[in-house]
Amino acid sequence: MACQLLFSCSTKEPKFQQYYVQGEQLYIKNCSNCHQKDGKGLGLLYPPLDQSDYVDKNLHEVLCLMRHGKEGQLIVNGKKFNKPMRGIPSLTDLEIAEIATYIYNTWDRQHGIIDVKETASVLNSCK
Amino acid sequence: MKNTRYKMPDAGNNTSWTGCFFFITMIFLAACTPKQKDLPIFGEREVNGTDTIYHTIAPFRFVDQDSATITNDVFKDKIYVADFFFTSCRTICPIMKTQMLRVYEATKEMPDVVLLSHSIDPEYDTVALLHDFAERLGVESKRWHFVTGVKDSIYKIAQTSYFATAMEDKAEPDGFIHSGAFLLIDKKGRIRGKYDGTKPEDVDRLVEDIKRLRAEHV
Ligand code: HEC
Repeated sequence: MACQLLFSCSTKEPKFQQYYVQGEQLYIKNCSNCHQKDGKGLGLLYPPLDQSDYVDKNLHEVLCLMRHGKEGQLIVNGKKFNKPMRGIPSLTDLEIAEIATYIYNTWDRQHGIIDVKETASVLNSCK
Repeated sequence: MKNTRYKMPDAGNNTSWTGCFFFITMIFLAACTPKQKDLPIFGEREVNGTDTIYHTIAPFRFVDQDSATITNDVFKDKIYVADFFFTSCRTICPIMKTQMLRVYEATKEMPDVVLLSHSIDPEYDTVALLHDFAERLGVESKRWHFVTGVKDSIYKIAQTSYFATAMEDKAEPDGFIHSGAFLLIDKKGRIRGKYDGTKPEDVDRLVEDIKRLRAEHV
C-alpha cells in the first residue's frame, strides 16, 4: 500500500515538475517578449495571460494558437484586442504541452499537467 | 562634495615621481569633474578656433501617427529619446516598447521631454497602423511620435545620425536587423547617451540621465 502510494507520487510529481520547469523556460523564450514574464501583456497590443477569461475557457484554442497563431478581433476580459499573433510552427507537441502546463498552473491557476498525448490529439484537430 | 580641491603638495623637494603623480591626478580631475555634471557628447567634433562643432542629428522629415509632419523643428528646445522598431516585430521590439513605456511614464511631468520611435518597416507600418499601435499602447501623440516615411531616409538617419543599426535582411526571422538602442538627444540635437532598450537597468540609467540633462540645460 505504502509502496503503491510512493510509486504513484514519484511518477506523477516529477513528470509535472519537469513539464512545468521546461514550460517556464519555453514561455520566457517564446512568449514573454509580448505577453511579459508576469503574463500581464502590454496595453491593448498584447493581451494578458495571467488574468484572462479567454485562457480560462479555451484550453484547446490556446494549444492551437501556439502553433498556428491567431488573427482578428479577440475579447479578453471585455477588452478588444486585434493584432495578429503569428504561430510558432517549430514548437513540438511536447513543448506546447509544457508551455500549457506552465500557463495553466501559474497565476492562480491549478489545472494540473497537460499531457503530451492529450495535446497531440487536440493539435491534430485544430481548425 | 563642494570645493574639495586637490591641495598642491609642497613643490620644494619633489621627486619627479610625485610631480608625475600630481600631473596624472590633475588630468583625472580635469577629465572627471565636468563629467559628473555633464553627460558626454557623442560623435566626431570639429574644433574651429574657440568653437567646437559637435555631431548633430541631420535634417529629417517624417510623418507621425496623426499624419503630422515631423521634422527637427518639432524637437527644437526639447530633449528626446529615439529608437527604431516595427509593429510586426516579434523579437526585441515588444520588450523595447515595454521599456519605452516606462520612460514615457517616468517623464510624464517633464513637458520638455518627448519620444520618437521610427518604423524601419515603413511600407507596412502606415500612418493608420501606427495610429492604432499608439492607441493600443495608450499613449498621447504629442509626447510620443511614431513615425513612418521613405525607407531609405529612415535607414540613413539611423546609421549616419543616430549610429544605430537598421537594415533589411530577409534571412532574419522578421526580415530586419536592428539595434535595440535608445538614444538620448539634447536640445541642440546632439547625442548624449546610448542605452540598451531591452535592459531595464539600462533604461533606469536613461531616466536618471534625462534628469541630469534637464538640469544641465537650465
Ligand atoms: C509577437 C508577439 C506575441 C508573441 C511572441 C506571442 N503572442 Fe500570444 N498574442 C499576441 C497577440 C497580438 C494576441 C492577440 C491576437 C488577436 O488579437 O487575435 C495574442 C493572443 C494570445 C492568446 C489569447 C488571448 C489571451 O491573452 O488570453 C493566448 C492564450 C496567447 N496569445 C498565448 C501565447 C503563447 C503561449 C505564446 C508563446 C508560445 C505567445 N502567445 C506568443 C502576441 C504574441
